Amino acid sequence: MDSLQNNGEQSAKFKRIRRMIITRVLIAPFLIVMLVCGVLVYFFADALGRKAQGELSRITDGHRALVDEFLAEQVSALEFTATTRSFTELSEGDALGALFMDLKSKFPAFEDIGVFDEKGRHAAYVGEYDLEGKDYSNTDWFKAVSRRGVYVSDVFKGYRNVPHFVIAVQRIEGGRPWYLRATIDTAYFSNLVKAVRVGSTGQAFIVNGKGVFQTGLSSGERLEEPDPDWRLYRKADAGVESFTAQASDGNTYLYAVGRLQQTGWLLVVRQKATDAYAPLARAVAVAVIVIALGGGVVVLTAYVLASGLAGQLAVVEVEKREMSNKLLAAGKLAEVGEMSAGMAHEINNPLQVMMAECYLINDVLNDLEIPDKNLTPADLSTIRDSMAQISMQISRCSLITQGLLKFARKTDPALHEVDLGDMVEDVVSMVDKRAHIDGVSIAVSAEKGLPRIMSDESQLQQVFLNLLNNALYAVHNRHGAEIRIEVQQEHNEIVVSVADNGCGIEPENLSKIFLPFFTTKPVGQGTGLGLSTCYGIVERLGGRIEVQSEPGAGTVFTVRMPLSQAHAHPGA
Amino acid sequence: MSIVQILLVDDEERFLSTTKILLEKRGMNARTAPGGQEALNILSGNPVDVVILDMKMPGMDGVETLRRIKRDHPLVEVIMLTGHASVESAVEGLKLGAFDYVMKPCDVPDLVEKIKEAFARKQAMDEKIRKARIDRIISHPMAVFDKRTDLDD
Repeated sequence: MDSLQNNGEQSAKFKRIRRMIITRVLIAPFLIVMLVCGVLVYFFADALGRKAQGELSRITDGHRALVDEFLAEQVSALEFTATTRSFTELSEGDALGALFMDLKSKFPAFEDIGVFDEKGRHAAYVGEYDLEGKDYSNTDWFKAVSRRGVYVSDVFKGYRNVPHFVIAVQRIEGGRPWYLRATIDTAYFSNLVKAVRVGSTGQAFIVNGKGVFQTGLSSGERLEEPDPDWRLYRKADAGVESFTAQASDGNTYLYAVGRLQQTGWLLVVRQKATDAYAPLARAVAVAVIVIALGGGVVVLTAYVLASGLAGQLAVVEVEKREMSNKLLAAGKLAEVGEMSAGMAHEINNPLQVMMAECYLINDVLNDLEIPDKNLTPADLSTIRDSMAQISMQISRCSLITQGLLKFARKTDPALHEVDLGDMVEDVVSMVDKRAHIDGVSIAVSAEKGLPRIMSDESQLQQVFLNLLNNALYAVHNRHGAEIRIEVQQEHNEIVVSVADNGCGIEPENLSKIFLPFFTTKPVGQGTGLGLSTCYGIVERLGGRIEVQSEPGAGTVFTVRMPLSQAHAHPGA
Repeated sequence: MSIVQILLVDDEERFLSTTKILLEKRGMNARTAPGGQEALNILSGNPVDVVILDMKMPGMDGVETLRRIKRDHPLVEVIMLTGHASVESAVEGLKLGAFDYVMKPCDVPDLVEKIKEAFARKQAMDEKIRKARIDRIISHPMAVFDKRTDLDD
């Protein structure tokens, strides 16, 4: 039962040690490594993010140049046509049709072309719609082109009621202006704008200065509708700006926005953040996996290492326990040795008396062998007296041997009801004779009616015999040597104090006296096991042993045994 | 040959009384003392040839008693009674000038033998001292009247 309890204690200790090693030795460095990894991943992610933004900005810048160039080409083609032809030439006959075919072959984006006089009347038209003769003098584009000379319109529906945008140029011929206007194929332009490949979710579109879509969007926004995300775009004047923002569809996009020089429109290229940062996410994921795996390996190693170490410590602990058991046994043996020497001496005295009595009887018997010598009453009484004396000395010897047996018996811890007062009296009777010879008085005062405790009597006897032996040694050759033993109850403890007025213990030795093999006795006289044995026994039985000492004045050993023996005797 | 004057010193009363009877039966004169101090008192007032001294006694122990006997009465022979466990004290006693020692429990014939040896030595010593004194008186007769010479020594 005791060993089971020890095992439980042992494994709890083992776990505690292992936890301590894991936390103190490994978790702290592991956390630092995690921190370093975290910082590295952060900077790596930051760099990758910048790289993605830079990439998108570069693509957008190139695309903006392309779109700008396309618009400029269309404008210069119209300007060139206007300057090389006259109003009369184009507004009559099929000349405009031929010109359009010619232009269309070089500039496929043109959808139709029209010639307007100074008042905005459609003088000639080639295209799918029937717009000839219509008056455009009040349209926005006409007002703008007559003011500026060249104009690229926003997308509008106009007479044809289909979204489109136009490029118009003014020509002053003989002091009178006329105008050439071409419609750009919206599908063609949209495709041109859309034709940008950025990742799998990249898309490009154009919004005008008021935030209205100028090209279609693959995700379904229609031309001429206001862009719900207009507020996000910054006013990029010259360069291209890149940023990340959440759009109205709920997705987060990486945006790059640049302004077209020809029209002041904004070219917007955007890519879903998940797509743009996919390499980043992959890199971070790899980093996290590596850290997690590495961490796992570290933790596993730590666990194995800590278990090994704790296991070794546990083995050491067991060995220490075994060693202390052996010490206990050795101490016991040494104690028996010392005791038997003392016992032998105590037995010598009665033996000596018996020997003398035997010779006395022998003498009387010898006298009787002399002829005509009779047994006198005096001889008879001498023999009787001697016989009585011998039997008295024999019982004295048997008392001594009984004491020795009592001490030597029962080495296994066995818990019984023990009356500490009686037990102390017994022990005192064992050393009383020796104390008397040494001229030491031993006074025992035990409180009346002390409760019994559950403990091991023979082991406790050993403890107090040891303490008494030490006290006797301490008061050796002292005048008025005295040993006082008090047994009393304090709260839930029985307290036994053994006080002597002997030589005392030097303060520097006081902390060492319970250590095995520590002794101040001359070589060969002490084993240094006595007090360590006492300490071991008292601790095992759930008690405590304390010492107070003043060099030259005396020493008090106090043994406190608990009344409730829950620790030493769980079944009680 | 004069009767041996013996002093028995032991704390065991019964041992003292029985041994006293045994020794007196063997033609010796025995006194007893239960302790060292009592022994010294008897020695200072009575003629004693051999002291039988127990080494383990309460109060003044054997070694201390022996030391004092040898200091105050150097011619008195001492036989020590020792146990097996205290051979060291026997050795110490011999160094201090004890004649011999007997292990407890001792045979009476052994003890008597040792007493005789001790007594013989004592007598030899006394004889030598007596002769020395006579020689001195013969060579320096006036020395008898010299107060500085302690003739009783």
